Amino acid sequence: MKIENQGLCLSISEIPELTSVNSGHFRDELRAVLPGSPSVIEIDLSETRFVDSSGLGALFALYRATAERSGVILRLLNPRPEVQQLLELTQMQQLFEIVQR
Amino acid sequence: MRLAFAPDLPSARAVAGEIRSFLAEHGVLNQELFNYEFCLAEAAYNAVEYAGSPNRQLKPVAEALITPDQIELRVTDHTAGFVLLERIPQPSCLNERGRGLFLIQSLMDEVRYLRGAKENILIMRKRRRANQPPAAEHPSGSADGLSLEESRRQLTESKSARANLAGELSFRSETLSAIFRCCAELGRSDALAEGFGERLLDDLFHLTTADWCVLRLLSTDHRGLAVAAASGSEHTPEPITLPLPGEKPCGIEATVAASQTAARFDLREDCARTEPLRAIGPEATGLVCPLVFGGALVGTIAVGRRSGDFPLGKLQDEVVRVFAEFLAIQTVNLRHHKEEVRHRMVARELEIAQEIQHLLLPRTLPQMEGFGLAGGWQSAREVGGDFYDALAVDTQSLFLMVADVMGKGVPAALFAATMRGLLRGLAARSDDPAKILHGLNRLLYAELSAVSMFITAQVVHVDLRTRKVTAASAGHCSPLYVPSGRHGILPLTTHGLPIGVLPDTVYRSTSACLGEPATLLLYTDGLTDTRNPAGKLFGQRRLMGWLSANAIAGHTAAELRDRLATELNRFRDGAEMVDDQAFLLLTEARANPKSAADSGKPQFQFERGSFLFPANA
Repeated sequence: MKIENQGLCLSISEIPELTSVNSGHFRDELRAVLPGSPSVIEIDLSETRFVDSSGLGALFALYRATAERSGVILRLLNPRPEVQQLLELTQMQQLFEIVQR
Repeated sequence: MRLAFAPDLPSARAVAGEIRSFLAEHGVLNQELFNYEFCLAEAAYNAVEYAGSPNRQLKPVAEALITPDQIELRVTDHTAGFVLLERIPQPSCLNERGRGLFLIQSLMDEVRYLRGAKENILIMRKRRRANQPPAAEHPSGSADGLSLEESRRQLTESKSARANLAGELSFRSETLSAIFRCCAELGRSDALAEGFGERLLDDLFHLTTADWCVLRLLSTDHRGLAVAAASGSEHTPEPITLPLPGEKPCGIEATVAASQTAARFDLREDCARTEPLRAIGPEATGLVCPLVFGGALVGTIAVGRRSGDFPLGKLQDEVVRVFAEFLAIQTVNLRHHKEEVRHRMVARELEIAQEIQHLLLPRTLPQMEGFGLAGGWQSAREVGGDFYDALAVDTQSLFLMVADVMGKGVPAALFAATMRGLLRGLAARSDDPAKILHGLNRLLYAELSAVSMFITAQVVHVDLRTRKVTAASAGHCSPLYVPSGRHGILPLTTHGLPIGVLPDTVYRSTSACLGEPATLLLYTDGLTDTRNPAGKLFGQRRLMGWLSANAIAGHTAAELRDRLATELNRFRDGAEMVDDQAFLLLTEARANPKSAADSGKPQFQFERGSFLFPANA
C-alpha cells in the first residue's frame, strides 16, 4: 500500500486486497496521516482485486473519521466492477464519490 | 473439493482463494469467481471468529461442489451457531459491521444454515447460466491461433482432469482415515450406543456432504430393524418390521434388508405414501445400503439429502457402500465380544456359587458313641442348592437335615447358606423338627417368595438313648429307616409344604423307633431321580432294596456311604447327571470317632461328577 500526501490531497494506492487480514493495517496507516487535515482523500482501487465485508468496514471507518470535518471529499478511484457491485449492494456508494478515470 | 483450514483469519482468507482457483480450473466464468470467493471468505471468517473456546482448535471445513447446473459452497463451523433469517434486511450504510451475511444472500441464489449438536453447515448455492460458453469454442482466425487455442483447451482439460483426480484421491484418503478413526473408537468404547454411531455419522456427513442419515441394526429377534443412530432431532424414525417369508416388504429400507441389495431412491418419483423415509422430507433423495456379514443381514444404512435437486454423486455412493461393509464387520465383532464377556461372567458366577456351596458342606460331622454318621454330596452340571448338615444337641442326641433349594447359581447357594445358619440358631431352642421348619419358613418366606424360589427340607431329631427318631418335612422326600423289631426298610412318612410357598405353613412331626442295628438315610430327590443311559429311574423302591440288602451287613457309616455312592454311579453308568445328590447316613456300626474328629485340617477331594465327603465320615 502506498500513501502520498500531496498538500491537501491524500492519495492511497497499490492496494491488492482489502480484507479482514489487512484492514486493520489499512486503518492504522490512515489514522496516522489523517491529523494532517487533507481536504481530499483519494483511494485508488484499480489494483484491488478483492474486498470483503471487513474491507468495506474499513472504508466506512474512514468515512466516519472524516465526517466530523465538513468539506472533506472521499473519492474511490476506478473500483473494479465486482467491488463496485458490493458498494452498491451495501449503499456505500452514497458515502463516497466514485470516479472512473 | 474439500479443504479443512486452520481456525485463523489468514487461513480463512487463503482457503477462499484456493476455492476460487479450483472453480477457475473448472471453467467457472471469471466475472463470477469474485462472488464465490467473497461468499466463501465471509462464511470462513464467521467460522473462525465465532468459535467458542472449547472448539477453537477444531478446523472448519470449506467445500465446493460443481455440477453442470449449480455450484454449491459449504462451510462447516464449530460455533454455537446462529439463526439465519429468510431474508436479511439491508444493513444501514452507517453501520461498520453486519454486511457479510446480507451480501452472501444478495450474491447467491440459495443460502441455508444447518445447525447440529457439534457443528453447523452454511450451504450456499448458485445456479449456473445455461449458455456458459467453454473457452475452447471461440473460433480463431489463423492456423497458428487455432493450434494455440487447441493447446490451451487441452491444457485446461488436463488441469481439470488432474484436479478431479486429486480431488478423488483426497476424498478416498479421507474415507480411509475416517474408517481408521472409527476402528480406533471401537477399540476404546464398548458399544454403538456410546455416541460411536453419532461420531460415525459426523464423518459420513463430512465425506458425502449428505444432510441426513439413518443407521438401523437388526433386532435380537431378527424380526425388525431398530434405529441405532439418526441425524437431526427434527424426526425420530420408527422401527421397521421385516417381512415374513412370502410377504412383500413395506418401504425402501425393508426391501433393501430383504433383498440384501443397495438401492437409490428419489421420493419425488416414489409415490408410496406409507414410505417410512418420507419422515426425512417429501423430496429426499439418497441411497440405502444393507449391512451384511457372512451372508447374514446385520442392518441398513440410509444416507442422502433432503432436497431432490442435488442428489449424492457416484463417489459419495461408493463411500456409503464402503462404510456399510465396514459397519457390518464391526457390528458383528462387537456382538461377539459382548457375548464372550457375558460367557465369562456366567462362568465366574458359577465358580463363586460352587465356592459358596463347598463352604456350606460341614467339614466334620458329629460322631456319637456307638453310632456312625456319614454324608455324601455330588454336584450336577450346574451348581444347585442341595446340602446337608448335622448338629449335635448333646452327647446322645443330634439334628440331621437335608435340603434342596429350588434354583441355581449364586442365589440358590446364598439361600442355602442363610438356611444353614438359621437352622443352627433354631435347633438350639427346640427339639421339635416341626417347630424348626415353621421357624425357617417364617424367617425365609418374604425373601424366597420375592424371587419365586422355595426350599424343600427334611429335619430329623435323633435321640440315641431312646432310639427315637422325630422327623418333619417341608415338601421333601421321606427318610428311610429300619424300624424296631423288623428287618425291612420303611419310609418315615412326613408331609408339609416347601419353605417359601405360604407365609404361615404348619408342619407336623412324625416319630418312630430305630431298630437294631440302627440305620437311617436322609436324601435329596437327586438320588431317586438318577437315570441310567436307557432313561430308567433309580427310584425309591430300588433305593430301599439296596439299603435293605446293605444295612444288615454291619458296615460302618463311611463304608455304607461309599457303597451307596458306588451304586448310584454304577447305575448311572456315565449318563449325564440332571440334579445334585446329597444324603446323610446314620448307622450303628462303630466308626472310630476320635481318630477322625481330631484329625486336624479336614481334607476335601472334589471333582465334578464325584462325591464329596466330610473328612471324618
